[in-house]
Amino acid sequence: MSNLSYHLRAEDVNVWFGERHVLKNVNLAFPTNQVTALIGPSGCGKSTFIRTLNRMHELIPSAGFAGKVLLDDEDIYGDGIDPVKVRLNVGMVFQKPNPFPTMSIQENVLSGLKLSGRKNSNNEELVETSLRRASIWNEVKDRLGDPALSLSGGQQQRLCIARSLAMGPKVLLMDEPCSALDPGSTRRVEETILELAPEMTIVIVTHNMQQAQRVADQTAFFLSEDGNPGHVVEFGATEQVFGQPIDPRTNDYVNGHFG
Amino acid sequence: MEKVIDLSPVARPKTAAPWSRKSPQFILYASLATVIPSAVALGTIALTGMDFMAALFIVFLPIQIVAAALVGITVYGRRGILEGLLVVATIFLSSFVFVLLGSVIWSVISNGFSALSASFIFQNNYYIQPKTSLEFGGVGHSIIGSLLIVGLSTIVTVPLGLATAVYLTETQGKSKGVIRTLLQAMSGLPSVVSGLFIYAMFIASGITTYAGWTGSLALIPLMLPTVARVTEEALRLVPVELRNGALALGAPAWRAFVQVTLPAAKSGIVTAILLGIARVIGETAPLVLTTFAADRTNLNVFDGAMGSLPTYLFNYIAFGFDESIQRAWGAALVILILVAILFISARVASRTRTKARK
Repeated sequence: MSNLSYHLRAEDVNVWFGERHVLKNVNLAFPTNQVTALIGPSGCGKSTFIRTLNRMHELIPSAGFAGKVLLDDEDIYGDGIDPVKVRLNVGMVFQKPNPFPTMSIQENVLSGLKLSGRKNSNNEELVETSLRRASIWNEVKDRLGDPALSLSGGQQQRLCIARSLAMGPKVLLMDEPCSALDPGSTRRVEETILELAPEMTIVIVTHNMQQAQRVADQTAFFLSEDGNPGHVVEFGATEQVFGQPIDPRTNDYVNGHFG
Repeated sequence: MEKVIDLSPVARPKTAAPWSRKSPQFILYASLATVIPSAVALGTIALTGMDFMAALFIVFLPIQIVAAALVGITVYGRRGILEGLLVVATIFLSSFVFVLLGSVIWSVISNGFSALSASFIFQNNYYIQPKTSLEFGGVGHSIIGSLLIVGLSTIVTVPLGLATAVYLTETQGKSKGVIRTLLQAMSGLPSVVSGLFIYAMFIASGITTYAGWTGSLALIPLMLPTVARVTEEALRLVPVELRNGALALGAPAWRAFVQVTLPAAKSGIVTAILLGIARVIGETAPLVLTTFAADRTNLNVFDGAMGSLPTYLFNYIAFGFDESIQRAWGAALVILILVAILFISARVASRTRTKARK
């Protein structure tokens, strides 16, 4: 892996919620334009970790952070860095589809521009490219003015992906993007991820091992044992983590012995 | 062996919700149990000349309870007794509430309707004596006064209430507890105290004479807790995922609030404002002490006494003549109509453009 470049690197990431130490010394490097899956049992800190990559964890008032997250060699926690600017370059898709209910499909795609106070010269083109990249264009092209909530759950999630893509992020974070979707919609979202992978760095949290194997180039296994803070037990190529795990705990988890 | 399941429409039995399936026998018994007690009670009144309320409680209710229990036991067995009794209790008690509410509205309409006329609504009260015929003079100046006074308080209270609600829901401020306690205390404030305070501060002290704005000021502490707390609830109902979604797109907190949270809470906030207005539009005590009353139209809230519907009602009912009491009822009806117009128009205006799919 030595010849890979890394868009995003986490160095010695530690997180506390109040007095509770929830993540300890996480070091992960995310190769440019590849998909990395974060797996692990509930409560192991993987969702918290993915939120440190765009500083969304700071919305929890008691959260404390130590370490570095380097986006193109610049620490997003550095002095004078505005978390709002960070999120312009690092998009995020959530567990539950969350299109803005008061906006139409088209307005949802453009909402990022409006919300960040940016201008764009060709909105129609941006709407079409974003929706195409999220592979939902054909389903909605005739009804762009319809309310976003008129879509099905899976379509809403792909609309949320399109909404993130319209901002042209370098990195896309996905926090269990399929956990609220049926198998058919899950497949569509996974296809979308694979289509996007060549052009952006994707980090995906998932509880679904098959999903990690289907979409991810790298997999990191998180664990929090006996009340200890969560940490990375194993990180490597997906085939290796699932095929020949080095750590016995990884082996137990990926083979369904616990979690 | 493979199971073959026939899903063709013909094969499927027509089903209805369990509560809508009623046997003809049940319908017959239930109708009898509804008709007989009322018939017996009405018969008793006709034959013995018994008082209506007495007949309701002594004749109708016992027979109705027994009848309902009998229907219950014949149709469902023993567990049906409770079912029958609960049905009677639910219908009887809820109709009680409707009758109470309806009688208030009905008495205002029936007494006030004859006072209503174009002159009553559009003319002011200049040169009108308590015994003047209703052909002359009206509440025009009071309608304008009420709208101006309440309008001015609304203009001040809504931003204050919104800001308070935003502070309570969107920030990590340290004094939330204190603010909540203050709001609670404020909502328990007797309106006359609010009026007295403004009176002492601005009028008794000689800073100003009676004026519309002092009335608006006295209404603010009455309106603020309602607006702030209902808005707070409306903002709290907006899912946190929407806020996070906006922030994750690189929105500054204020844009996320203005463009996502606020539109999602719009109809709740309109309700908050309406409830605030409804809370104060009928307030009399603070206005008697601050805006006083006037016979003439006064369009300047910053100068001179000002008429308003509640003070008009209060004054004319106190005169005690037939004509003046008639005017008071008329004013009461105008307040009701005004509130109804406000509510309906605000509801229509705040109807959300986009609707969720069913």
